[in-house]
Amino acid sequence: MRHYEIVFLVHPDQSEQVPAMIERYRSLIESGNGRIHRLEDWGRRQLAYPIAKVHKAHYVLLNIECTLETLRELEAAFKFNDAVLRSLVIRRDKAITTPSPLYKEKEKEEGSRSSGASTAPAASSEPAAPAQPTPQPAPAAAAEEATPETAKE
Amino acid sequence: MSRYFRRKKYCRFTAEGITEVDYKDLAMLKSFISETGRIIPARNTGTKARYQRQLSRAIKYARYLALLPYTDNH
Repeated sequence: MRHYEIVFLVHPDQSEQVPAMIERYRSLIESGNGRIHRLEDWGRRQLAYPIAKVHKAHYVLLNIECTLETLRELEAAFKFNDAVLRSLVIRRDKAITTPSPLYKEKEKEEGSRSSGASTAPAASSEPAAPAQPTPQPAPAAAAEEATPETAKE
Repeated sequence: MSRYFRRKKYCRFTAEGITEVDYKDLAMLKSFISETGRIIPARNTGTKARYQRQLSRAIKYARYLALLPYTDNH
């Protein structure tokens, strides 16, 4: 059993199917006695460049532990699913369970958009206090750089 | 010797104690690409060779996933 990190991009029109797809892949992994160590749904993000004539895509990150056969099945599932625009598989040495910088960024954005009730469960699952001062410039920098990109296109 | 004062370059990854460069940390990666999207050479940034190799791999992963642009005229 090896550890893999998988990121796949789903066509924005098929965005509603993402939870069902994740469930399908989860059952596929678990049927092969694998484990999911980290699952992050980054939601719809602006692409840095258009892929298949779309400018946005739904990102999902998976850190899994599985056998080679299961991985081959997963890769085949990505390949023959037209909704999956792109996928990346990286071999990792160990299970990674800490939230990724991109996911933190997204949670912070959502927290600033809808304050109060929605931020409370997120704050309880991870310590909010040390995370807050450091990623502060990140969304601002991303927003600044996002605007000239869209202006060019 | 040199006539102009130049700030000392230092390796950010060594200084911050980062063991592995993460392709998902866009704010960090963006400080190592130029305005046109090219990777800034280690001779300009002062990044140590080991981290520059990791960095270039991380940037290329991020480009593949459309998290970073390949050029500025996409």
